Amino acid sequence: MPKYYHDDPAWSDIDPLPQDDGTLHPLAAIAYTEEYSEAMGYLRAVMAKNEFSERVLGLTEHIISMNPAHYTVWLYRAKTLSQINASLRDEIAWLNPTALKHLKNYQIWHHRQTIIDALDSPDGEADFIATMLEQDAKNYHVWSYRQWLVKRFGLFDDEEELRWTESMIESDVRNNSAWNHRWFLVVGGRDGQAIGEDVVAREIDYAKRAVRKAPQNQCPWNYLKGIVRHAQLPISTLKDFALEFADMRRPDDIYSSHALDLLADIYAEQESKEEAERALHLLATRFDPIRAHYWNYRKSLLEQAGTAA
Amino acid sequence: MAAPRPSSSRTPSSRLEGILADTDRIQELSDSDGEYEDMGTATQEEMANIAYLESVRIPIEDGLTTESSAVTEETLQAVLPFLESNPNDFPLNIFGLPQLQREKHINFLKHALGDYPRQFAMMDASRPWLLYWSLQGLTALGYDISEYRERVAHTFTLAQHPEGGYGGGYGQLPHLAATYAAVLSIVMVGGSEAYESINRKAMWRYLGQMKQPDGGFTMAPGGEEDIRGAFCALVVLSLLNIPIKLPPDAPARTHGLTSFLDNLGEWVSECQTYEGGISATPLNEAHGAYAFCGVGCLSIMGPPKEMLNKYLNMSTLIHWLSSRQCAPEGGYNGRTNKLVDGCYSHWVGGCWSIVEAATASTNICNRSALARYILSAAQAKKGGLIDKPGKKPDAYHSCYNLAGLSHAQHRYTYEAKVQEDLGGGDLDAPYYWKAQGDYDDEKVWGDTDIVNEVHPIFVIPFKAVHDCRRYFMEKEGF
Repeated sequence: MPKYYHDDPAWSDIDPLPQDDGTLHPLAAIAYTEEYSEAMGYLRAVMAKNEFSERVLGLTEHIISMNPAHYTVWLYRAKTLSQINASLRDEIAWLNPTALKHLKNYQIWHHRQTIIDALDSPDGEADFIATMLEQDAKNYHVWSYRQWLVKRFGLFDDEEELRWTESMIESDVRNNSAWNHRWFLVVGGRDGQAIGEDVVAREIDYAKRAVRKAPQNQCPWNYLKGIVRHAQLPISTLKDFALEFADMRRPDDIYSSHALDLLADIYAEQESKEEAERALHLLATRFDPIRAHYWNYRKSLLEQAGTAA
Repeated sequence: MAAPRPSSSRTPSSRLEGILADTDRIQELSDSDGEYEDMGTATQEEMANIAYLESVRIPIEDGLTTESSAVTEETLQAVLPFLESNPNDFPLNIFGLPQLQREKHINFLKHALGDYPRQFAMMDASRPWLLYWSLQGLTALGYDISEYRERVAHTFTLAQHPEGGYGGGYGQLPHLAATYAAVLSIVMVGGSEAYESINRKAMWRYLGQMKQPDGGFTMAPGGEEDIRGAFCALVVLSLLNIPIKLPPDAPARTHGLTSFLDNLGEWVSECQTYEGGISATPLNEAHGAYAFCGVGCLSIMGPPKEMLNKYLNMSTLIHWLSSRQCAPEGGYNGRTNKLVDGCYSHWVGGCWSIVEAATASTNICNRSALARYILSAAQAKKGGLIDKPGKKPDAYHSCYNLAGLSHAQHRYTYEAKVQEDLGGGDLDAPYYWKAQGDYDDEKVWGDTDIVNEVHPIFVIPFKAVHDCRRYFMEKEGF
């Protein structure tokens, strides 16, 4: 049932500020319902007098139910919560079902971040995120929020966090968001600290095992290359492994275009220009022809490097 | 190791064999969607398309099925009939592909500027976007938008915040996305009245409030900080020729910052991930739309060759961008192992001119495969462009598919001497771009399928860019 304010005694002190469209008809105008128009009129009025109160929370909740993508309403609600010292636990309890209904919404996640930051505790958040990811395992906002959470509460060395990430990769080894989160936990979020040799070895081993499950999946290949680069190892560290999937002597038995791609880099590093060209040629003509221009560009870089040397 | 298996039985090659063996009706093409009629025997064009698709397929497929591979395969099966044949019954161009449905798209976009029923209340904060996407789409299609000039200026006068910047509409807080869309729309319709409707001094102060000590920008007061903010802010600063020194009351000044550009290159650099792409904020996942914001932002700060090479690892960036092109679909996805979507025709496709300028190379990407996807799979039967077959058209996908088509067709080069009268002044790098002929070598479009040139950084017409910058260069003070 629609909710109105003009006959509500609790709001009798407010003169709503109706939307003023001036004399010309605006473009992309929306024929708002009376309910939405009126609620927005009351919101503009309370914003104009900087009112922060319980009834503003009710009003913003009402508008959000009609338009969850309304950043103005979310930002004003966040400010109200902080001004009146409202219960932030109650806010999270209200937010959960709202977030599940509107998965691809920037505002809800930013709002949640503001609230959890003020609450100063990540309790219950991991479970909530898991529920969200069941709906959409690659939701960008949810993963970004998880990364914020880990950083804000220093969860990098929480074993459960890494275990959970592994379970996400386990359930879909092609979920790149989960791979990115692993990188974040192990390498990226540590503010440039070097990672130990044992961790490098563990990560290389982990990614290699993932490649073996599905060699044409690019996620673990990107991860492997990233780890090797970060640890400042020569990329030829991965040569024997890449050869398992792409032995150029037997082009009929190539199991991964990404292995060929990596081999081209390895041969370039080892200054085996002809081998590198051969790998790039196989990619351009047979194993990844849609990117032929790119592979040929990589060939041209070999020429330039040759001239420079 | 899971044994790789030969590719599925429904690949283009096996279809081609079927067609060559006899001229049976192509069953699958007819039942792709109930509304399409049986296509009859394979035509010359269909056989050519199928042979082409076979030629760009990756001939390796893993045996292991996961959720990702299942939805990727499902998507391919939904897209293939449109790449192989012509289920929409569009007239074909001389390359056997659907012609650009110019009139239908124009009608769709004009409609998108009109009134919306009440169910669209959820778009209330995004109305500036509806204007930008529709107007940009219309100009790309060659439609004269001057009839909208007064109403554009009026719409945004209502949405301008007294303290600077634009909100989604009357009484809404300023937001950098709304501000970006509003400024570009005003610049597109142009004219001194529209330009003067922008309160540039208040804009300067609003942008000063968004600048963060780490170098990035928030989208709104108390809102999220991400790379959209950095790009949108620089677009506005450059086009409106606003001073790059921070206003006196900018909070970032208390941290020792004095310029909008302080720490910005470093911040963008931190958004490049181990994969080579660019993320919303440091350490999130690399994503096509954020990649465009990142390279766009750097290309406003200075010449692409200097800026991109200084702040980004170019070899991993190019590798990642190149990997976004889906085979055999030809369109782009936004992230590793995600699905092809027409909007990345611009977000990823639009990065190429900039990256090519930065590396002094040409044609690193496959423009003809992208154009095929747009013409064959991203045009809705009744007008408007789409994410992928089966999706509804909208102004967003129309705008960015058409911008992508423009990137595929036109050669945009960065030349230090091209706009001497616009050179000089702060943030002048975007005024050295020039449209330099078309990519003719592997073209798959006829003359009537060519869309207008689009400025590679601002994604509006070149003339609108130059007129606006010139206007504000000649204006003294605010």
